[in-house]
Formats: sequence, structure tokens, C-alpha cells
Amino acid sequence: MTLVLEHVHKVYQDGPKEYVALNDASLQVKAGEFVAIVGPSGSGKSTLLSIAGALLSPTSGKVLLDGENIATLSKKEVTKRRLEKIGFVFQAAHLLPYLKVKDQLNVISVLAHKPKQKKADILAHFGLEHRINNYPNELSGGERQRVAIARALVNDPKLILADEPTASLDSSRGQEVVKLLAKEVNEGNKAGVMVTHDERVLGFADRIITIRDGKVEFVND
Amino acid sequence: MFLAIRELLFAKTKYILISLITTLTVSLIFIVSGLAEGLSADNASSIQGLAADYLVLEAEAEGELGNSFIPMQQAKEIMNDQEQEANTLSVQMMNATIGGGDKQISLALFATERGGMLMPEVMEGRFPKQENEVLADDSLKQEGIQIGDELQLGEKTSYVVSGFTTDQRYSHTPVVFIESEDLKQVNAVAVKGVAVTDGDYSAVPKIDALGGIPSYSQEQASLNMMIIFLYVITAFVLAAFFYVMTLQKRDQFGVLKALGANNKYLISGLITQIILLSVVSVGIATAISFGVGALFPADMPFILNMATIVQPAIIIIVVSVLGAVVSLYQVVKIDPLEAIEGVAA
Repeated sequence: MTLVLEHVHKVYQDGPKEYVALNDASLQVKAGEFVAIVGPSGSGKSTLLSIAGALLSPTSGKVLLDGENIATLSKKEVTKRRLEKIGFVFQAAHLLPYLKVKDQLNVISVLAHKPKQKKADILAHFGLEHRINNYPNELSGGERQRVAIARALVNDPKLILADEPTASLDSSRGQEVVKLLAKEVNEGNKAGVMVTHDERVLGFADRIITIRDGKVEFVND
Repeated sequence: MFLAIRELLFAKTKYILISLITTLTVSLIFIVSGLAEGLSADNASSIQGLAADYLVLEAEAEGELGNSFIPMQQAKEIMNDQEQEANTLSVQMMNATIGGGDKQISLALFATERGGMLMPEVMEGRFPKQENEVLADDSLKQEGIQIGDELQLGEKTSYVVSGFTTDQRYSHTPVVFIESEDLKQVNAVAVKGVAVTDGDYSAVPKIDALGGIPSYSQEQASLNMMIIFLYVITAFVLAAFFYVMTLQKRDQFGVLKALGANNKYLISGLITQIILLSVVSVGIATAISFGVGALFPADMPFILNMATIVQPAIIIIVVSVLGAVVSLYQVVKIDPLEAIEGVAA
């Protein structure tokens, strides 16, 4: 198992009141599996993704990434795990406006103190070879999201997390992007988790998990 | 570095504009520093360049050379008490005319013993041989004085300029040096090494004696205040700019942190940008200041050299980095969670 969440609780303190965002959520994702998480707004799916991505630590429970409990690591260690083991794809691509496409990928190598390899191959793989020297504002929405996926894969992470990757795309572009994501996860033998509202892309997922009021309610195999 | 440089190049206009502002304030710092240095020399170069370390003054004079009067008899005793070389110094502000003409020239007459250490080097002409011969500062040339000219002081006394020396000014007037054996009283005894004194007399380090020159402290203080304000302005301009930039880039910092960039990397990038900007500004400002300095008329008290520039340049870079501290705090505070929208936190 690449990602295991065991009895995860997340409680936010809002003044005197407590707000339970996740209530005893458990989840397992194995290598090569692409899981979609759905649920209404405020159900806790973004919280779940943030906890799985080591951006947020749970109030209680275990988060095992590649066998290691990341819930108890220091902030510094957690940042390192994100860099080494997790690839993120965000809602609006979130590319850095001042970097050319190739440098969007190079920055990950720089952060990881690894030599910058030729990024042409991976960009060609995503059909972006002609965009290598373009800035994000010169790309289409779909191209930007493909760059974001390529960026998430540069470090060969074990886990890929996507936060509503189709939110800024039209239907056909969205389908294309999720299809690509699913393919990378399945073929690259990575664990993939995607939070989405978009029912049209659920067909690409191996499993669908529904969250309601902080509880994992329904697991569809 | 990777991100810092690429961002500077991408957002050229923004960074060029901010560099322009800091270049202007830094140029002003350099020019005012040059003016302070120039005025200081114009007021006190004869004391700064005096071949002695201490001035023994009358204790009641409170460090002011012009208020100190030592009878020759006492001055001789003081000189005998010293371990190292010592000579008397007498300073008189006077007006002179060239050979009894109409034009009045202000000058400072410095008198000391024959063969003493206080006479400066001759740059042009020869050392005074006769009793009525003097060595004059070369700024007197601008008044039209040449070697061999006669300086008429009052009705009876006149001196002949036998040679010129350089960088000898006192209280914004040129100094004329004379060797004299028949003074009744002097203003100070100039001493090499450490001075030995007793109750009625006090030894003042040469540098402190500058404060005793009329208007010296006031001039320097007002210019230094301008310089300090300019440091503060430069620091604040950069601090405000980078603060706003950091606030604008919150989401970028959030994404970078989510991707695995640590605070150290992001902070060093920010500091790299600030240092680059201030170094470039200092570089251009140096060129501008030397250019402006070259345009000033020759008799303007303005001295700018690398030695004058190094200290303010270092201060500017240091205060710029200090100004970045507020932005650094912002960067550290940004939560990588901000990259994932819709999380209630």
C-alpha cells in the first residue's frame, strides 16, 4: 500500500465551537490505483486531500505514506517528503508566471538538489515539446494543466494528488487531462488520488469514494 | 537563485523602476557624502594633515584651538615635558592684499618653530629661507597669487610667497605657513605620540580638535543627518516594495511550499533579489556621482573617491537587507495549504 489513512480525525477550533472536518476517515490506495473522491462542498474532501498530501496534520489517526507515518513528522521533514514522494496537481494549474515551461519542471529538480535533466522527453510525452520556451500566459488552459501534471511527475513521486484538476477547464479539455492523469498513475505504478466535483471524469477512476460530513460513506469498487 | 533571477528578468519593468528610485537616493547619498568630505577638508585639512597626534591646549579653551592661548614660556616647558617631538602652533586669521592692492584675501597664518615638524612639504617653489618668506596653500593660486608675490598684512607686515604646498585649509580659508622664533604666545603645542600634560593644559587628539574649528561640527552634523535620512528612505522604499511584492505573491509562495520548497530557499531567494537590486543601484549611483562630481567647478569643496564610497555603499546594502525582514516574516507565515483552495483553515 502506498497511502494508508487510519481512523483520521480533523477538528478545527472555531472560537468556543469545534468543527469536525473529518470523522474517523480510513482509506487505502495501492500503487497503480487511481481513486476519485467526491462529495458535496464542505464535506471534508479537500481536508482529506490536504492531510494525505502532508499539507495539514490530522488531529488524530495515522497517515502512512510508503509505510512511514507522516502525521508525526516535523514541518521541515514533511516539506521534504512532499518534495520527494508527492506530486501535486492544483485546481488552477498554479504555474509560476515567470518561468518558461521547461523551468516549471526544472524548479522541482533545483529544490530537490538534483541535476536538471533534459526535460524535453517528458514534455514531448505530454505533447508540449513545441511549448518548451513559452511562459504560462502564452499557453491554453489545457496546456497549463498538462504542464502542471508533468511538474507533478518530474520527481517520480509515489503519490499523486489532484485537487479538482478540471475546475478551470471545459468539458473536453477536462476529460483529456484526467485521462492523462489516470494513464500516468496506472502505467507509472503510482498511487493517485483526485478530488473532483466533475461527474463526467469519474469514469477514469479505478475507485470512487464518497465523503459526507467528514465521513467516508461509500466506497465504490 | 534559480527562481530569484528568473523572476527579476521576467518582471523587468517593475524591478527597473524600483532600481531607478534607489539609484537616485544612493546617488544623493554619495554626492552629499562627497560634499561633507569636501567641506570637512576645506575647513580642517590643515589640522587633519598636521604631522602630530595630539594638540596640547589651554584647559579653559575646552578643545577650541582658537580660544587657547599659551604664553611662550609655558609652551617651552610643555615641549620639554614631552617624550616625543613637539612644536608650538600659532593660528591667526587675517586679511591680506597682494602687494598692497585693493583685493582682500582671507587667510590663516600658521606659525611654528624653524626646522620643526609642522611645516608641510613643498609642492612647488622652495622652502622659506628668509624670515619674511612663507609657504602657501596652492588654493591661493585661484586668487591669482604666484611664487614671489608679496602678501601685505596690515600696514607694516608683509610676506613673500616662496613656495606652494597643498591640502592646507583651515576654517574655509587657505593656510600660509611661516617659521618664526619670536612669538610671545601660541595657541597650542602639537605633540607626536602620547602627550604629557598637567592641570592647566589638556591634550586633545588631533581628530577631536576638528570640532573646535568654527562651524565644523554644525556643517558635518547637518550633512550627516541628510545622509542618515537618505539611508532610512532607501531602506523603507525597498522594504515597502518587497513587502507589497511578497503579499502579491502569496499564492506563488504557497504553491512553492506545497511543492516542497522550504523557508530557507524562499528567503534566500528574496535576499538575493534585494542584494542584487541594491548592488546594481550602488554601482550605477557610483558612476552617476563621479560624473556629477566631474561637472562641479574646481573650487567647489567636493571630494569623492572610492574610500568615501565604500562605507555608505556597505551601509546601504545592509539596511536594504534589514528592510526585508518584514517581508521575510510574511514568507515564513504563508501556509502551503493556501495552494489548496476551499480548505477551512
